[in-house]
Amino acid sequence: MLKPIRLRNLLRSRQANWSLALLLGALTLFSAIGLLAVSGWFITAAAIAGLTLSSSFTFDYFRPAALIRLFAIVRTAGRYGERVTSHHAALSLLKDLRSQVFRALTLGKTAATLDSTSSAATMHRLVADIDRLDRFPLQFVAPWFWASLIVVCYLTFAYWLHPQLAAAASFGLVAAWLLVPAVGFWRGRTLAQEDVTAAEQRREHFLESLSLLTSLTLWQGWPSQQRDTLIADQQYQTQQLKQQQLISLLSLLQQWALAISLICVLWFGVDLVQSNLVSVPWLLAAALALLGVHEALVPLAGSFIGLGQSQAARDRINQLMPINQAQPIETDDTTRPAAPFHLQTEQLSARIAGALNGPENINIDLRSGQVLVITGASGIGKTTLLKVLANALQPSSGKYLINQRPAEQWQLDECIGYLPQQLDIFDSSLANNLRLADPQASDEQLWQVLADVALADWAQQQNGLDTALGEYGAQISGGQARRVALARLLLAKRPILLVDEPFAGLDSRSSYQVIAALRERQADGLLIIVSHHAMDIPDVQRLHLS
Amino acid sequence: MDTALQTSEQQLKKTLRKQLKDTIAPETKRLHLALLLAVLGTLVFIGQSWLLAHLFAGLIKSTQNSTGLVDVFSSQALLLLILCFILRPSLQFVRERLSQVASFRARATLRQRLLVTLASLGPERQTLGADGALSNQLLEQVDALDGYISRYYVQLYLVLITPLLISIAAFYYSPLAAGLMLMTAPLVPLFMVLVGGAASRSSQQQMAAMSQLSSRFLDWVRGMSTLQHLKATDQAQEDIDRSASKYRDTTMKVLRLAFLSGAVLELFSSLAIALVALYLGLGLLGILPWAKDVIPVPYAGALFILLLAPEFYAPLRQLGSDYHAKAEAEGAIEELLPLLEQHTWQHPGQQPLQLDAAPALSLTAVSITAHNGRLRLPCINLQIAAGERIGLHGVSGSGKSSLLLALLGFVPYEGEILVNQSALLQLLRSDWHGQLGYLSQQPNFKRGSLAENLRLANPAASEQQLYEVLRQVDLLSLIEKLPQGLNTQLGERGLGLSGGQLSRLAIAQLLLRDAHIWLLDEPTAHLDPETSATIHTLLDKLSVGKTLLLVSHQWQGLQWLDRHLDLAALHTTKEQQPC
Repeated sequence: MLKPIRLRNLLRSRQANWSLALLLGALTLFSAIGLLAVSGWFITAAAIAGLTLSSSFTFDYFRPAALIRLFAIVRTAGRYGERVTSHHAALSLLKDLRSQVFRALTLGKTAATLDSTSSAATMHRLVADIDRLDRFPLQFVAPWFWASLIVVCYLTFAYWLHPQLAAAASFGLVAAWLLVPAVGFWRGRTLAQEDVTAAEQRREHFLESLSLLTSLTLWQGWPSQQRDTLIADQQYQTQQLKQQQLISLLSLLQQWALAISLICVLWFGVDLVQSNLVSVPWLLAAALALLGVHEALVPLAGSFIGLGQSQAARDRINQLMPINQAQPIETDDTTRPAAPFHLQTEQLSARIAGALNGPENINIDLRSGQVLVITGASGIGKTTLLKVLANALQPSSGKYLINQRPAEQWQLDECIGYLPQQLDIFDSSLANNLRLADPQASDEQLWQVLADVALADWAQQQNGLDTALGEYGAQISGGQARRVALARLLLAKRPILLVDEPFAGLDSRSSYQVIAALRERQADGLLIIVSHHAMDIPDVQRLHLS
Repeated sequence: MDTALQTSEQQLKKTLRKQLKDTIAPETKRLHLALLLAVLGTLVFIGQSWLLAHLFAGLIKSTQNSTGLVDVFSSQALLLLILCFILRPSLQFVRERLSQVASFRARATLRQRLLVTLASLGPERQTLGADGALSNQLLEQVDALDGYISRYYVQLYLVLITPLLISIAAFYYSPLAAGLMLMTAPLVPLFMVLVGGAASRSSQQQMAAMSQLSSRFLDWVRGMSTLQHLKATDQAQEDIDRSASKYRDTTMKVLRLAFLSGAVLELFSSLAIALVALYLGLGLLGILPWAKDVIPVPYAGALFILLLAPEFYAPLRQLGSDYHAKAEAEGAIEELLPLLEQHTWQHPGQQPLQLDAAPALSLTAVSITAHNGRLRLPCINLQIAAGERIGLHGVSGSGKSSLLLALLGFVPYEGEILVNQSALLQLLRSDWHGQLGYLSQQPNFKRGSLAENLRLANPAASEQQLYEVLRQVDLLSLIEKLPQGLNTQLGERGLGLSGGQLSRLAIAQLLLRDAHIWLLDEPTAHLDPETSATIHTLLDKLSVGKTLLLVSHQWQGLQWLDRHLDLAALHTTKEQQPC
């Protein structure tokens, strides 16, 4: 079901649209060249006819004139149509890609891999990479299709005039069409693929330098850091310059090749004219058309850079997408645990990858209706322990049982409600954020759950349920964001609730209010709270990590 | 109101243009050379067209009169034509390289200038934005100037020069054909405004819509684990599909308009060729209604004009497609404006400083005023004895941190600060920094090993010294447990260590400096109470004998300090004023 993105499939989804864009683009280029060629033919033929007075009145100027007008119109309308259809197709492609990538991401287990600090950067790159994929149809496929078609048309035309003329033109033309871009193929693709890595390195270098700036200034280390930073910048820029210069160089070679082709056409053409095999107007038409072919060949110089960038983007997206991950095996015997619940850990230890310490030898025994409060200093592993209990992290040793059965054998997806330390508030209204957990929830239900987390008063002072929460929850404080996420979790009605620091930014009266509401809601389930507030709550189990 | 808004917008445009000009200023020589080459290229093109026209005119005569080719088209002319064919692309190539190098250098210079500005701002830079946003400005926004410098700048002149040159050349043969082309010439500036306006509006709107869409997508993707957990992925999927479709439809609406103005240009370009061709062709036939039986333009001239016609509108068409480069550059400069217009202050002191023991600090009538006239620190007086440890408290915005910045030598102040008996403003700042230990919430770590990170503070520190300071901050036992010890790699921003452990490591860096004065800016504000208590105890133990100033918005856990001062109480007058 989940397939990696392939460049050649990109065009398939909007085939009709792309075909129309390609056709219109070809018509436009053809008309542009035709306009020049027919105009040239027309005035030359007219000049020859004009030399003898009798033929000048019999000369049929209506047809070429009509043709000239036709080409002028097709060129204008075609350009407009091509722009509109190709942009429509590109935007549709973007839509499809976003949709496809998002669907792929929803299938993967991203929780464990994406909560490091670099995840924001990774995601930024993902979005940029998706946007970069439209370079494949726009900068690679279309230019090659048009250029090839035009070159073939031209050679056919030249052959029709005289085979020798086609042979004369072909050498330079093929060089400009295939040979020169081939140079771009082996040089440009590598350049483009190195591009993003270099950019990423430069970005990290700058960010690190800025975060160290004050200290290094005090420690007299800044000048050398600044020098290193500027060198990193220079390396990336040089890389960019190389790409630009490659394109310029290729385009120079192309023009020279075309010039050779034109000289050959004139050289052999003049002979053909002398021997009355080709007339002067047609030779001029051939020469002018060759000048016009240039416009179709120019984009080929940069096409392999575009291809390389698309390929690199595709590879990075595919790497991020959970294609190669084993799909969770959903066999029938993984069922949900039913109430009453019994959660136990025996000598449980765990550690997050890269962390220096974590919880060790933890024993918990918790039954329905009971509450566990986990306390301890920061960095001691409270959050790690909660992560294990949420089944988001495998313990390194020990047992974790729910209803006497190892937790990983249960289908816990809709059983556990987990409020992690790093939470997500989406750039939308309060109501939209809450309804993620339950699209059918009524306004009354939303207000109730807001009251439970002591946010109802605040929401009333703001814009009610329509209060905008801003990007990444930037419009609200950290504690409020935490409780919005908690309210959302409560709406999801999960029997096992694991919450990390729900009382941040709350005075003690409101904290008790929240905990009372939580207890009431979890009367038949389990409630585990991690907090560094030493709160005096009756009838709870306590676990102090030290 | 409306006019006021308009003038302020005009003012902004003016500032933007000036800043862009300043950025390009060091490279104008290169760019003007590039322009010269482009003009030369046009002249070569005119020559090439003339030669081609005469070649074909010769051919016609030769078929009529059966004379040899060499008579009508000498080998010299043929060589000239070949030279033109070689020369024109070469000129174009050199021009492109010049522009690219100019852009490369201008951007590198600008980036260096901005980085130096940020460095001299020190911790003050945070008023301009978070480090992530600032580094983004330095990288992406500066790079966004590329298209403007390397393409648009030269094109803007070409769009006037090229049509003029071509009309002059055409005029020589046919004033009427030149007139036909020139008739449309007044339309050139008009179209620059129209196409430019439409293109810039559309590209701005498109960029805005695009970034909005991207950030929305990003927002959903970032929250993926939450969405999965809440089983809300379908809702998000729907939203992504819907907003992408909407984006496509609104963008297409804008683009259709923008493309229309492009199409009109295309039409003019086509018409110029078509009209010129018909006029010349009918003229050659001698059947023009107003000029029967006369040939107004001989064949060579006619063909020459026809060959020139496509080039007449080429620069304008190019400008239309490059216009987004200008919009992009103006947007980028606008983003960079706060940084570009930042007045940096240089600490003026030149006097060397050598301290053998903790000094006394004396602040007399010190106040700090920001550039915009806002009072950051009202007048205070404060005497700190040698080796005295002081806690400075106050609500946020009371000027605590500003005072520390002044003491660090990053912001100017009124009044007098004395270190022992010497005025701080007279002292060489680097010497003064050599005596300072500074600790804030900002982590001082980079990717690299523990040892490398510690040596940031003192590159000359021996391994023995590193172990010693780690022992002092109670990290030794933990480090010794690690398989790679001092060579353990720290992730981005100290990833892998807890907040408390990072604080200890930062204190270890401080100890490596062997400073006599410690300035601490809320060093534990980001830690939980328990951890911050242990860090405070550690600071107490290690700072004995140093002159210490600790800024904090709270008093708890700081009982070990010699003196606590509420910043509000220090103010000399009730009305918070500069001295």
